[in-house]
Amino acid sequence: MSDKKRVSRRQFLNYTLTGVGGFMAAGMLAPMVRFAIDPVLKTKESGDFVSVASVDEITNEPQRFEWTIDQVDAWYESEVQKTAWVYRNENDEIVALSPICTHLGCTVDWASNEEYPNEFFCPCHGGRYTKDGANVPGTPPTAPLPHFEFKVEEGMLYLGEAKESGGGL
Amino acid sequence: MRWTKADTTQYLPEKQYIDTVIIPLVPFNPASDQHMVKQAFQRELNQVFTNLIEKEYKGRIFLAPDYHYLDGQQEIEFTRVNAWIQKFKEQPFQHIFLFTFDNTWKKYESELDGHLLWVPGMGSGDIQSTETQSFVREQAHQISELIQAYW
Repeated sequence: MSDKKRVSRRQFLNYTLTGVGGFMAAGMLAPMVRFAIDPVLKTKESGDFVSVASVDEITNEPQRFEWTIDQVDAWYESEVQKTAWVYRNENDEIVALSPICTHLGCTVDWASNEEYPNEFFCPCHGGRYTKDGANVPGTPPTAPLPHFEFKVEEGMLYLGEAKESGGGL
Repeated sequence: MRWTKADTTQYLPEKQYIDTVIIPLVPFNPASDQHMVKQAFQRELNQVFTNLIEKEYKGRIFLAPDYHYLDGQQEIEFTRVNAWIQKFKEQPFQHIFLFTFDNTWKKYESELDGHLLWVPGMGSGDIQSTETQSFVREQAHQISELIQAYW
C-alpha cells in the first residue's frame, strides 16, 4: 500500500461536504430553473380539443353541434357556447364548419332559405355559402366559412379551434 | 354588436348593414324588499335573452346599453326612452325594438317611437336550470323571427 493513495481525514471531510452541499444546492436550484423555463417547455397545443359528438351521429347532411368552453379573458373567465356544422362529404371525410358568417359575424343556418336548399344561409344580409363552406360570389361575405380543427379518437369527434380557410371568392 | 370598444369600432365603417337596435328596458326599485329579488332575476333573464339574440344576429342588430328606470314611473320615463330612440335614429338605425318583461309598458306602447317587445317573463326560477334555458331559447327564437319580419 502506498501512502499516496491514502486519503487524509481532512480530504475525506472536504469531499463529503462538497458532495452533500452540491446535492443540496442542486435540489434547491433545479425547481427554480424548471419554473423559470416552464413556459418554454410547455408544448403549445393548438387549442384544446373538446369532445363534441359521437362519430356515428355524423351524416351527409350538416348537423348543428353545440358545446361549451371556458374562455379566459383578461378580466373574467366565462363559459362560451360554441357551435359547428358537421357532416361527411362525398369522400367520407368529416367536415366541421364554423357557423359564424365572415361578413359581420351573424350565425348562418343550413338550408334555412327555401330558395337555396343546399347552401348555408345568413339571415342578416342574405350571405350564402356552398356546402363546403365557400362563399357564393355576389353575396356580402368575402371569405369562406372557417373550418374547425378536428380529430377522431375512440369513436368520438373532437373539435379544436376554427381556422380561416382562406381563398375567398 | 354591443356597446364595447371592439364592436363599435367594427360598427362605424359597416353602418349601412347594421340597421336594428334592441334597447333592454329594465325596471328596478332598490327600496322595495318585496320586489328586489324578482327584479334582479328579470334583469338577469333580460340580459340572457338580449345577448342570445345579439349573438345570433351580431351583424345586423346593435344591442344598446340597458335602460334602467325606477319601476312604475312610465308616465315620465317614456319621454326619456323616446330621447334615446331619437339619438339612435340619427345614426341612422331604422328598426328600434324595446325588449322588456315589465308589462306596464304595454299601456304606453302607442307613446313609444319604437316597437315594444313585451314578453311575459318568469316570476322566479333558476337562471342555470335546463327548464329556464329551453324557455329562453324557444322564446328568443320566436322573437328573432318576429324581428326578421320587419327586415
